[in-house]
Amino acid sequence: MGDNFQNKTMAAVMMDYDFKIKTQNERSKVEDLFDYEGCKVGRGTYGHVYKARRKDGSDTKDYALKQIEGTGLSMSACREIALLRELKHPNVINLIRVFLSHTDRKVWLLFDYAEHDLWHIIKFHRAAKANKKSVMVPKGMVKSLLYQILDGIHYLHSNWVLHRDLKPANILVMGEGPERGRVKIADMGFARLFNAPLKPLADLDPVVVTFWYRAPELLLGARHYTKAIDIWAIGCIFAELLTSEPIFHCRQEDIKTSNPYHHDQLDRIFNVMGFPLEKDWEDIRKMPEHATLVKDFKRSNYQNCSLSKYMDRHKIKPDSKAFSLLQRLLLMDPNKRITSEQAMQDPYFAEDPLPTQDVFAGCTIPYPKREFLTDDDQEDKSDSKARQNQQQQQPNTQQNQVQQNSHDHGANNAKRMRMTGPNQGNNTGGGQQEFHQQQQMMFGSQQQGGSSQQQGNYQQRF
Amino acid sequence: MAGNFWQSSHHQQWILDKQELRRDRQFDLNILSEEEYQKVFNFFASIIQVLGEQLKLRQQVIATATVYFKRFYARNSLKCIDPLLLAPTCVFLASKVEEFGVISNSRLITTCQTVIKNKFSYAYGQQEFPYRTNHILECEFYLLENLDCCLIVYQPYRPLLLFVQDIGQDDQLLTYAWRIVNDSLRTDVSLLYPPYQIAIGALQIACVMLGKDNLKPWFAELNVDMDKIQEIVRAIINLYEMWKSYDEKKEIQGLLSKMPKPKPAPQR
Repeated sequence: MGDNFQNKTMAAVMMDYDFKIKTQNERSKVEDLFDYEGCKVGRGTYGHVYKARRKDGSDTKDYALKQIEGTGLSMSACREIALLRELKHPNVINLIRVFLSHTDRKVWLLFDYAEHDLWHIIKFHRAAKANKKSVMVPKGMVKSLLYQILDGIHYLHSNWVLHRDLKPANILVMGEGPERGRVKIADMGFARLFNAPLKPLADLDPVVVTFWYRAPELLLGARHYTKAIDIWAIGCIFAELLTSEPIFHCRQEDIKTSNPYHHDQLDRIFNVMGFPLEKDWEDIRKMPEHATLVKDFKRSNYQNCSLSKYMDRHKIKPDSKAFSLLQRLLLMDPNKRITSEQAMQDPYFAEDPLPTQDVFAGCTIPYPKREFLTDDDQEDKSDSKARQNQQQQQPNTQQNQVQQNSHDHGANNAKRMRMTGPNQGNNTGGGQQEFHQQQQMMFGSQQQGGSSQQQGNYQQRF
Repeated sequence: MAGNFWQSSHHQQWILDKQELRRDRQFDLNILSEEEYQKVFNFFASIIQVLGEQLKLRQQVIATATVYFKRFYARNSLKCIDPLLLAPTCVFLASKVEEFGVISNSRLITTCQTVIKNKFSYAYGQQEFPYRTNHILECEFYLLENLDCCLIVYQPYRPLLLFVQDIGQDDQLLTYAWRIVNDSLRTDVSLLYPPYQIAIGALQIACVMLGKDNLKPWFAELNVDMDKIQEIVRAIINLYEMWKSYDEKKEIQGLLSKMPKPKPAPQR
């Protein structure tokens, strides 16, 4: 692009030289203001995320710098900037500023740094479970997480914004600092306004929600996204928090398909939920792929399946408040699924332990900090994608489930360096012993122990 | 973000003060009279409108593009970036934000070329549209910076629909008021007043045009600052007055050559 503003044909000058120089001098460059070299913590289709610090030392906070994939302003970059510029809620990631790098045409977004996310948190619990180790977390952590997710989504929904890509990797949790243990909903790149769609929603992004978190109506070809679709995804995340398994885990051959109908994913849902009865989902007959559904599936194959049986196998009792809320979030009929507002009023949240603003409730955070990734310069992008897909296709065995999940981050291909010692992550110190009494395992936390009373002393309440 | 105008960047940053706006335009207003300045904007609003129509964009997208254009020049002189480049850039950006989709670069440039050649030859004569994709893309970054990344623009169309619903569906009234809102894009009202007030102003003018006296009680019950509405009405009526005696085809070439223009880098 350079300095060649003068066009040969019309001798028109596109931009005033003084204006150009003036704005150039006023423009701050991301690399002048922030240190982030070698501090990459995330990589995905969205681009790269770095952990950054201010160079001038005016504060010592960590920031997240997201370099958007590709050059220039893609539509998803535009959407992300446009929406985040307007949104302000404690449980929605806060866009601090945008850097436009004119020389290489890169777009950078500056956010507060969130040390944790549900993908890593669940992975940590799963690994612990596989090793028969327990993780000490506050008894109400899952509840606090869910409450804040609902709070954030309620804010988005009441501002007519749909997230459309909710999954554990997009639910961030703040580490040590003033916002310790606070949920931040992130990755709004796919978010869109839905009160007046200018184009049918399905025309824009053929496939948006990761299959495991996709609502059945989407899999049956629904052309319009709704709030209920986000609610389904939240239900999936809730179940995954309770059991540490993705509830609708499914092998996936091809992520980018324009056909929304996905036989295996539907099969998985029915295997957990049972096949929907006509009376439970009357409009199922109106779904575009209903004929295919009738052709491909037999109700009798799912005779013995139900959510209560599935959750019972994972030690969540069907008479618990957690189960009853889960069931309302995971209703097959989108019209019957509850809203985020109704969910926040659920008795589950009024029951002890109450949700806390710090989901860790003041206890030691057991999860490791993010690791820095190194660039593998030899690696070409398509190659890396292919490998991510392969990763997903591995059979679902206990051993590699954690690995399988990692397509969300695409981080598994990168070489890792551990940057922090174990001091932060582990709750082994003798001085922290007292916390253990208030903590229980995140999973199987259904037993109402005497510890909840003591816990009350330490928890900040909403 | 259709939910909350009051907490929007539109309300908090982009409802400008009339006096400040005039001050910010002082450089241009030393060269052009206020009326000439408005005529120049009227012209580029037409270019945006025709471009949008050729690209089959919805009016909402066209309106957003026009507001971007006006916001840029509210803070910058016409000489900073050639408005003939900024106009299509605004269309390009607005279509992404409003989720019409990304207009392909080549289609945008081709459309600019045909539109300038076929519809605006009275202004540009035999001159061709001089810019290419790389110019638009570079300009887009400058536009985004100058908009301070405020891309969601509230338009009067939705409040207008709600008001007409409230009045009791009246298609003729809606059609008139809708067109008046379109026309209002050629004035400064989108920089100075919240969109719902512009919708009310447009409705008032439509009622006068249609001789609808029976809606007086409806207006009287509105809890709005009627002085503001009157200012909006006056601004739009002034535009109509100006149009009566204005022949753009005759005057625009003179105005475009008088308009302040970008200066190239000094010759070494």
